[in-house]
Amino acid sequence: MTELQYIGKPARRVDALEKVMGKAKYIADRKLPGMLHARCLRSEAPHALIKKLDVTPALAVPGVRAVITSEDFFEHSLFGFPVKDEYVLAYRKVRYVGEAIAAVAADTPEAALAGVQAIVCELEPLPGVFDMEHALDPDAAQVGPDRPDDQHPNFLDLLIVRQADPLAEIEQCAVKLDERYSVGPQEHAYIEPEGALAVPTREGGVLVYAPNQSPFVNYGVLAMVLDLPHNLVRVIQPPVGGSFGGKDDQIYQMSAQVAKLALLTGKPVRLVYSREESLISSYKRDPMHIRIRLGADSDGTLRAVKFEGLMDSGAYASESTFTAWRGSIHAMGAYRYNACAVDIKCVYTNNGYYGAFRGFGNTEVCAGIEQAIDELACAVGMDPLDFRLKNCLHVGDRTAHGQILTESVGLPDCIKTVRRLSDWDRKRAAYANQTGNIRRGIGVAALYHGTSLGAEGADYAGSTIAVEQNYSIDLTSGLTDYGTGSRTVFTLIAAEELGVSPDRIHMQRPDTDTAIESGPTVASRSTMLGGNAARVAADNLRQTLDYAAADLLGCELHQLVRSGEAYVGPDEEPVAWERVVDHAREMGLALSAHGKWTAPRIEWDHHHGTGTPYMAYHFASQVAEVEVDMRTGVVQVVNFWAVHDPGKVIFPQGAYGQVYGGVAQGLGYALMEQITYTNGYLQETNFESYLIPTSVDVPEITAQFVEAPFSKGPYGAKNIAEPSMVPAAPAILNAIYHATGKRVRDLPANLERVLLGHDLAKGGSAKACKLGLKT
Amino acid sequence: MLIEFTLNYQPIAIEAPPDVTLLHLLRDHLNLTGAKEGCSVGECGACSVIMDGRLVNSCLVLAPQAHGSEIITIEGIHAPDGGPNDLQENFITYGAVQCGICIPGMVVAGEALLMRTLTPTRTEIRTALAGNLCRCTGYQQIVDAIEATAVQRRQAS
Repeated sequence: MTELQYIGKPARRVDALEKVMGKAKYIADRKLPGMLHARCLRSEAPHALIKKLDVTPALAVPGVRAVITSEDFFEHSLFGFPVKDEYVLAYRKVRYVGEAIAAVAADTPEAALAGVQAIVCELEPLPGVFDMEHALDPDAAQVGPDRPDDQHPNFLDLLIVRQADPLAEIEQCAVKLDERYSVGPQEHAYIEPEGALAVPTREGGVLVYAPNQSPFVNYGVLAMVLDLPHNLVRVIQPPVGGSFGGKDDQIYQMSAQVAKLALLTGKPVRLVYSREESLISSYKRDPMHIRIRLGADSDGTLRAVKFEGLMDSGAYASESTFTAWRGSIHAMGAYRYNACAVDIKCVYTNNGYYGAFRGFGNTEVCAGIEQAIDELACAVGMDPLDFRLKNCLHVGDRTAHGQILTESVGLPDCIKTVRRLSDWDRKRAAYANQTGNIRRGIGVAALYHGTSLGAEGADYAGSTIAVEQNYSIDLTSGLTDYGTGSRTVFTLIAAEELGVSPDRIHMQRPDTDTAIESGPTVASRSTMLGGNAARVAADNLRQTLDYAAADLLGCELHQLVRSGEAYVGPDEEPVAWERVVDHAREMGLALSAHGKWTAPRIEWDHHHGTGTPYMAYHFASQVAEVEVDMRTGVVQVVNFWAVHDPGKVIFPQGAYGQVYGGVAQGLGYALMEQITYTNGYLQETNFESYLIPTSVDVPEITAQFVEAPFSKGPYGAKNIAEPSMVPAAPAILNAIYHATGKRVRDLPANLERVLLGHDLAKGGSAKACKLGLKT
Repeated sequence: MLIEFTLNYQPIAIEAPPDVTLLHLLRDHLNLTGAKEGCSVGECGACSVIMDGRLVNSCLVLAPQAHGSEIITIEGIHAPDGGPNDLQENFITYGAVQCGICIPGMVVAGEALLMRTLTPTRTEIRTALAGNLCRCTGYQQIVDAIEATAVQRRQAS
């Protein structure tokens, strides 16, 4: 391969300028003439029947233009994928506090709130399920939908991995571990609360601006619940103020609400959440209870694992079955085993609802398995980093799923590199046997994370590319850049393929009328899937331009070389790229192309728990250094090293930014981010109680990449966004153990858990939720 | 009521209800949407503006309190030609921007710090940003951008 011009080199993020100038228009910044403001009536009960719902008094409130309920939608607004159990507005029942029941559009936000308060809504309380351990008790109240089989209706799914008989294998092991861990829910806490803006069209359709992750999924849901033909629905993506998995279902619900209100009133309608409304009504990362049994030989050879997880899905399925599947695939960690069994069960409760969040199941299971591995290493009497090196996956190894890893396994190099960067061996020895009030510790975690959707579903993406009149290039993707930098990645890939400056390229935000449907923007799949689609599109366009250049220069295609953007033929006189474009136009060639890339087909056998879950994996190892105040339980992360194998790095500043940001979210998950439902009522309704890491909580982070290229990734790239977060929490927890000699097996490791080893009993009430829904 | 103040170096007089916040005055009455509403309780800093040389959360300032003051918002921070100034350029160069919703507040907070000192340590920069939440970047490249700007301004002065 000739030397790369743009890929892996410093680059300017395509949307950075408008953002640093304060000119980027997010959904809350968009106003249209005559625009109405929407507001939802939300459930104040965790589980109840809707006995009466009369919206006519709201219509009499001055300024109120329309009110809608589930009756205004096709099939009462039922939607959801892969399990269809959610409503745009609640139908007959509410299943969590904050669930939307009706929506009002009015001239002002104040009139919309007055309209909401005028709605007559009588809820008949039902017994709730607030403890997932009892969700499947025979007498537990029914939260989930009716089932066709004899399973409990609160049972959602069971995901398994099977390789031989781990309990029999563990029985023969010299060193055994049997421990329980738990992780709590986590809020996405994007700084931009959710919103949507709908505009009715002359043709009787609707145009929706929504900061959604997956505009084409929104488009499909809108057409379905509004009962409109697809050509009357259009979704345009404004800048998104952070998502992390959180702007999926919730935004589709909001989009359908404002779309229906816009269709009824003939006016633009916008709905923007307050922070309280966002926290109370939106889905969160699922909590999980974990039991892990491990066995190893006395020389530290890891032999068997049995992992049992119970996962709360809350009131709706959302993405939980997929989350649990990804969790099950990664539950044993990136190690070789003779025997493995994973069972992750997910159940319905009335604790809000849980869905997609960065890491998508792997963040949860990694917190468990990477602590268990640490504990087992300790029991064997080995350094935890040596133990990981000894047992971790290499090229040629067979995973617990039965997949042979044939390429792109950078894990051993990641572990060795993080050992060197962090000065592991010296610090590990220096921090042993401390006695003071302030103690330091250093901990490690290893990771693998499957690329893209894997066996979850059809995995493809599309891109279009066209040369415009002024010689600029328009590039589209069906995937959204919600802050990750994927638009810059696509730009650099297209520039590299075409041999033109990235400055020529205008990478559009998705518009369902012009972009190609590319599946959902999830699973850190943009670089590989969207990047490959952009590469194919650009390559198709380049072939046309090469053909024109050869014609212009009177030579064969293979005689063409490039000098910067210019084409050079046998006579060695460079011809400007624009001149080639002009010639192509004179030849009547179409200077537009599209590209589609589909991932290789892979298979997973859900019944037997074996197969090839993902085409490739990201690998990483992170080390945290902490300082613990033994008098208060305060943990400060003082240093952090993150070494990742994302394959080839396309956009370095973006890739480093993903690592720094991922580590910060993992730090919050490990130490401070706590979501508490008391009888279904959320206690943390704004950032004064839901604490996320600030600039003084996050240490200076040293990031480095081990680029083990993947042959099917664009230029060898895999993924980075989610995996950067996943191992941070267990690395920090293992460091706390090293500092204090005490294990905190429940996340977050807050002051009480670090100092006392248990929670302090705290009261809780419905107050914060009820207030939050009224202001 | 009539509220008169200096906004981005220009005198301004605007009629507004006495109970709106400075943030809403800027966003809803003056159509300056660079300051963002992230929490409305003074926790996230997305609405940061400089008021009489001090960094404040405009969601916690009532509009009448701005009367007679000098306010600088993100719209008032730019190079003489209207393009990015050195700090904004460094935010781009150092990869400090991801989703961008906190970035106007971060740029404003960075300018407020650099008005006070051109020799901040990285720890001092972090302390100056402690009231501005960012969920994407882990803050590191934002600190890099402010630190680099301080060095450049020091050398230029």
